[in-house]
Amino acid sequence: MLRVLARIGGAVFVLWAVATVTFFAVRLIPGDPAEAVLGGPGSMASAEALAAVRREYGLDQPLFVQYLDQLVRLATGDLGRSYALSIDVGPLVLSQLGGTLLIATLALGLAWLLALALATWSTRGGRVAWYLGSGLEIVAAALPHFWFATALIVVFSIWLGVFPPISTSGVAGLVLPVVTLAVPLAGFLGQIMRESLLLALESPFVLSARARGESEAGVRWIHAVRHAALPAISLSGWAFGSLISGAVVVETIFARPGLGRTLLNAVTSRDVPVVVGVVMIVAVVYILMTLLTDLASRLADPRLAVRS
Amino acid sequence: MRSTPQTLAAIAGLVAVGLLATGCTTTPTETAVGDPISGGTFTYASGDAQPSCLDPHVGGNFPQALVSAQYLESLVSRDDNGAIIPWLAESWTTTDDGLVWDFTLQDDVTFTDGTPLNASAVQANVAHVLDPNTASSTGYLALGKVASTEAVSDTVVRFELTEPDSALLESLSQPWLAIQSPTGLERSKDENCEAPVGTGPFIVDSWVKQNAITLVRNDDYNSPPADAAHEGPAYLETIVWRFIPESATRYAALQSGEVDLIDNAQPDTIVQAEASDTLVHLDSPRPGASNRIELNGGKAPFDDVLVREAFIRSANVDDAVTSLFQGTATRSYAALGSREPLAVGRDDLFDYDPDAANALLDEAGWSERDSEGYRVKNGERLNVQFPVSTNQSIPAEQSIFEQIQATAKQTGFEVSLAPLDISSWYGALGANEYDAVSAPYTKAGPDVLRVLYHSDGIVPAPSGYFANLAQVSDPEIDALLTEAAQISDETERAALYADAQNRLLEGFHLLPLYDQQNHFLLQADVQGMRTLPSVSVPTLYDTWLNR
Amino acid sequence: MSGDIRLPAADAAPTPLHDRARRFTAPEVVAGAAALFFVLAAVVPQWVAPGNPLGINPLSAFQPPSFAHGFGTDESGRDIYTRVVHGTGSSLLIGAAATAIGLGLGIVLGTLAGMFGPVVDFTVNRVLEVLFAFPGLLLALLFILVFGPGVITATIAVGLSTAPGYARIIRAQLIAVRRSAYVEAATVQGLGRTQILLRHILPNTLAPLFVLATLGVGQAIVWAATLSYLGLGAEPPTAEWGAMLSAGRTYITSAWWMSFFPGLFIVLIAVTATVLGRSLDRRLRHA
Repeated sequence: MLRVLARIGGAVFVLWAVATVTFFAVRLIPGDPAEAVLGGPGSMASAEALAAVRREYGLDQPLFVQYLDQLVRLATGDLGRSYALSIDVGPLVLSQLGGTLLIATLALGLAWLLALALATWSTRGGRVAWYLGSGLEIVAAALPHFWFATALIVVFSIWLGVFPPISTSGVAGLVLPVVTLAVPLAGFLGQIMRESLLLALESPFVLSARARGESEAGVRWIHAVRHAALPAISLSGWAFGSLISGAVVVETIFARPGLGRTLLNAVTSRDVPVVVGVVMIVAVVYILMTLLTDLASRLADPRLAVRS
Repeated sequence: MRSTPQTLAAIAGLVAVGLLATGCTTTPTETAVGDPISGGTFTYASGDAQPSCLDPHVGGNFPQALVSAQYLESLVSRDDNGAIIPWLAESWTTTDDGLVWDFTLQDDVTFTDGTPLNASAVQANVAHVLDPNTASSTGYLALGKVASTEAVSDTVVRFELTEPDSALLESLSQPWLAIQSPTGLERSKDENCEAPVGTGPFIVDSWVKQNAITLVRNDDYNSPPADAAHEGPAYLETIVWRFIPESATRYAALQSGEVDLIDNAQPDTIVQAEASDTLVHLDSPRPGASNRIELNGGKAPFDDVLVREAFIRSANVDDAVTSLFQGTATRSYAALGSREPLAVGRDDLFDYDPDAANALLDEAGWSERDSEGYRVKNGERLNVQFPVSTNQSIPAEQSIFEQIQATAKQTGFEVSLAPLDISSWYGALGANEYDAVSAPYTKAGPDVLRVLYHSDGIVPAPSGYFANLAQVSDPEIDALLTEAAQISDETERAALYADAQNRLLEGFHLLPLYDQQNHFLLQADVQGMRTLPSVSVPTLYDTWLNR
Repeated sequence: MSGDIRLPAADAAPTPLHDRARRFTAPEVVAGAAALFFVLAAVVPQWVAPGNPLGINPLSAFQPPSFAHGFGTDESGRDIYTRVVHGTGSSLLIGAAATAIGLGLGIVLGTLAGMFGPVVDFTVNRVLEVLFAFPGLLLALLFILVFGPGVITATIAVGLSTAPGYARIIRAQLIAVRRSAYVEAATVQGLGRTQILLRHILPNTLAPLFVLATLGVGQAIVWAATLSYLGLGAEPPTAEWGAMLSAGRTYITSAWWMSFFPGLFIVLIAVTATVLGRSLDRRLRHA
């Protein structure tokens, strides 16, 4: 019970800190949020218009009062109103969440599959496979999303005409964004998985399984892979965070609605409520993800459950 | 300075530029075959930012103008030669002193919510733009001289001005002063931002934020501008207006047939499209100011005209434009775009001439060089701070700045290019932390010169921004621009603007690059697509799909 | 909160390689040669590429690779081979310095959490969670917007955004090492806490970090490239790989070489660093 309470307390702390840091960071950046309301920066807005907007959004209050105000609203579940889009942040962020979660989850799944496939193949195929697998992983991990995405568009949309570059066409439109996000992540996960797979293959329980006469495939898939997956599972929380960063680029390039694109636009226009709103939602998702990966780790490795 | 030979030269230049302007506006309509087909869905892919409000009275930027031209209409429009033509107002008169304007409205037009278009509707729109709660900036500035309005009759609306305004009609032709339903305007600002109600050929149906705006045909439409190609409702049934910020994606979407038109086309894709059978290029430079680099004369080193000239002489713009725009942009030598009939180009002033630049710098006292080859004076390096907006300057333009940086280095200028996001960029300008800057500004007509180069424009707006970024403070230019903005005689107006532009260019306050680029690529089976000459925004009223 | 992250085992190359741990393998030799090239390019670029990386020649822009221009030319007619070579220094600096910052912060936070009792551990863990909950790119973006763009801020921004990852891994490693038999033995012998930390725990924790750090260098360059893509990286005309990659992407349909070669060098650095890091680590362990 105490553990559950501590966990909830920790989550609340994280949300508070995230909101606080974001609020002050965005307000530190040069640029006037009131202008976001008046059609963007550089507007030649009249003094009356600026004053009206500052009053309407409480921007004429001292910064700390604005912060407290925002905090109180956040505590009651009100994410406030967007400066630039003049709509409520809550519904906006929720409407964008789906698109990002969809590509991020698919990409995480695909990255897992790719990494696992590469890891199992390259630990079995001798030296050439080892070097090839290792090399592929390093190359994949060193691919910047923005470049990889553009290259995929050129090859698969312009030259081959296989996959559409934008999302209007349902499932086919998902292929390129998901692949863009998945491949670099797969390179990263693959490196870690392969190392732990090797360790697991040399461990006593695999030896005993072999001694019991279990088939090689059985040994690999049932025992080794389960252990190899452990560090990758615990990395999935982190991976999810990195996918959100990737989504900023991928959603912009593939013109998909989503949190990443919303975040980038909001930062550029100093739309403080939207930046805070997106960051809060990402934090909530991250907290839930770590909860899930913890549970998954415990399932995959019962020792963890005993230890804690 | 107002000597006759210069005025003559200016008028010659004016004629040449005017010819160019008419040459530029050919549209694919000419190649149309067969009778227009009604129906179909048209997908427009915009590279601009998604507007925050679909009502162009609020704020007032270019992305708003692009989309709102499909569902809102203005009192007047401009034709391809820059002349004012009727639209919602079928005629207008002005008194001799230029202080009172009467506009007679078309009498059978209704807004798409059933409200009739009448004098009081126009009054409601002027009041809406001037209301601080609307937070209008572009439209608000354009109505700066309007003192009051009056409904003379149901169809005649009167504008009373504080002083004569020769730019009033050009201002009213802009989408930022389009006429909306007064019933619609009475709704809350949020509701009106979501779906403004106008008299246009299309109606805002829905807007999924960050994704697309859907427009549907107005079947009762009867108010096309005087230069439209047909009457009655539009051909297209539905328009889907999408936002695709990444240029490669936009082009790929066009190639794969997912969209029918893209704006903000990049030079290399234009060249590729022109070589293909399936795509068509529409070049429609924006009116108002040209794309230019302003030299900040308000502080050292550019407070010295010699240093300004030296910088301009050491910038090899011609080669840069040739290599980077690959023939899609023409070098400009004017402060105004080639679509402005009153533009004065001075190709004698902007030659790349490093020797002259070196001599000028020696003369200005920047005669020594430090170990890195940069000029120094009193221990200070000849540094030019050049903030670049990565949101507004396309990659090719940013590369031009890099090439100018390289050629100016040879004469001893240290140009510091600072790529900034748009808010930081405006911040740097507002703080006067720049020596050179390129800032697009679109306003129909030569009155844009008053916004950009009258000394009043150095006084910052309440938001901290000011439009006279060259910080030109020249009483003679002020006088010329003020007089030109009030005079009603067209010839005298042209002469005044010519004098002002000559003085401006000869003062080396700016380095013109090219027209404000406005390239569209469309599927070859799209017919009847054109831009409204007022501010070069596309209108899809005459457009149909030959498929 | 989240489960411990295990480090990739440092000597996890397949068994056949173990016998040859003391001989140089072919990949090691190649990686060594590549490293030498990169060091030369970073320190004395004019030896490797005598041209001027900033010398524009607009009328020979967009030239494909040829005898005169091995890697082709860019949009301003600059020689891409020369630019890539001269960009090695700043790119390596971004990669190495950002990794050092991230790793340094990670070591401090990780050590605090792993060594100084449950209260400190709890506090540091909360801080890490906050940092983790921030998308790394947003952290970097906000940092650059507050402090202005440029190579230095980009480097610090990338370092900062990678720090929480390192910290968490180090903490997990520290806890594992602290529970190990030899540390218990040292404690039984009555060695002081600082001595145990310095003589036993840190060396055993830090050695495996080599692998991590070598991966990090390539990652940091890629991160910096993404910032360039967003328009907030190195200031022009600096020949930095990320900025070149980002500039080349615009012309990818008509001039593939503009982004291919800078990208190739980023990958090469990552591969070289990884191979050398692993080999170094293996040797240290076997020594």
